[in-house]
Amino acid sequence: MSELAQDRRWLALTPTLMAIAGVVLLLLPLRLFGGYVPTPIIPLAVIFFWSLYEPDLIPYPIVFLIGLLQDFLTGGTVGVWASVYLFSQWLILQQRKYFLGREQHVVWLGFSITVVVISIIIWLEQSLLTRTLLPYTASLWQWVVTIAIYPLLSIAFSFLHKRAIMEEE
Amino acid sequence: MEILGQFRREGLGRRENRRLGLIFLMALSFSMVLFSLFGARASVFEKAREALLDISEPVLSVLGSPIRWVDARFGDLSDYINVLDENKRLREENAELRAWMHEAITLQRQLDYFRGVLGVELPEPADYVDALVIGEVDTPFQRSMILNAGASQGIENGFAVVQDAGMVGHVVTTGKSASRILLLTDPSSRTPVVVEGAELEAILVGRSRGRPALTFFATRDPEGLAVGQRVVTSGAGGVLPRGIPIGEVTNISDDGVRVKLFANYAGTDFVRVVKYHFQPDLTQVEENDVDEAPQANDEADDEGGDE
Repeated sequence: MSELAQDRRWLALTPTLMAIAGVVLLLLPLRLFGGYVPTPIIPLAVIFFWSLYEPDLIPYPIVFLIGLLQDFLTGGTVGVWASVYLFSQWLILQQRKYFLGREQHVVWLGFSITVVVISIIIWLEQSLLTRTLLPYTASLWQWVVTIAIYPLLSIAFSFLHKRAIMEEE
Repeated sequence: MEILGQFRREGLGRRENRRLGLIFLMALSFSMVLFSLFGARASVFEKAREALLDISEPVLSVLGSPIRWVDARFGDLSDYINVLDENKRLREENAELRAWMHEAITLQRQLDYFRGVLGVELPEPADYVDALVIGEVDTPFQRSMILNAGASQGIENGFAVVQDAGMVGHVVTTGKSASRILLLTDPSSRTPVVVEGAELEAILVGRSRGRPALTFFATRDPEGLAVGQRVVTSGAGGVLPRGIPIGEVTNISDDGVRVKLFANYAGTDFVRVVKYHFQPDLTQVEENDVDEAPQANDEADDEGGDE
């Protein structure tokens, strides 16, 4: 029984650990396909998926800390990613009722819309911080890759999610 | 009857607490952004960045080794496929380089002779620290790399980082065993450069994934600028040494002047950190001139104090 409880505690950490792994992937010199394909922003997909299906496992403070970790490790302005991730979670939780139980391509569309909103916020925030109007298209490719990889990630996450649920029941 | 909103209070459940938590955390992150904007760089955040850099160094080194292994295998494969073309290309390049080598030797002899005649005293050649690239930040609008060498190897903020082909960026955060370099393509990167041939001073501004742009000082028109001219560091400001090759002018249009970098970021695994200080040159002048020109010495002292 106690072993089960311990298992459950570990499974509750799954989304947090996945998001941290996503942050570390953004730091590694992966250079996919000779550097032509940017690293997808996996933490955003983690936050989207788990906020939708199991928001209790990824509370606001955890999302804030993940964003903060990314800010510090990528050397950017502290607070940018933290605020963006928090905002995206808020956005998803607002629309949660609509997306729960929908088909996967509808959820994918939801993720795409979230990514578009987030990309515009990041673009505006970075333009303000550098005090120049940055070209929006400079980061477009990375967002496209992030959207494209979501179906694959969602299959992997739903497998982990099922495990977490089964252990709980 | 409702007294001081007591009925609404009952509704304050877990949901409301969550909402308050979100508002608090959002406010906290925005105030952090504002604090970083207006606070000095040497703040609490900078210390935290250095500490996290040191912590992440072993993690990135370990996780990076399989990536490097796979990269090397793919490299082997493409080398094998392209071996004939590559061999032909290298032979041609080698012949060309031999001609350049003889010219360089002749020029070096001439230069040594003239230096001897003029009695030129050269500054000490710069020291280098070789480092491995263990991390490359790949988020929108941020371009930086993490090296596995830090303050314990003598690296300081501001040092230029070069690759065999040209400049890569400069050091912005130095931990004990790791450091972060801001690439020339980062939107916040500003590098004082000079365009050779046109002898124009300019600032190289990063444009994220696009090619960096040149910003000229308003007082001078960019006359004599042509495609193909070499762009090197100008050394203005005394942070970087002069003459580090950066790239060449590729595009002159109404949008601005764009520079194609010599450095190939996707192939950058090893880099060299140039240890350069502006100060020692001044002290050398002071020591040499101490007997002959006391006035000049005073001036040099003042300049030294201003640095």
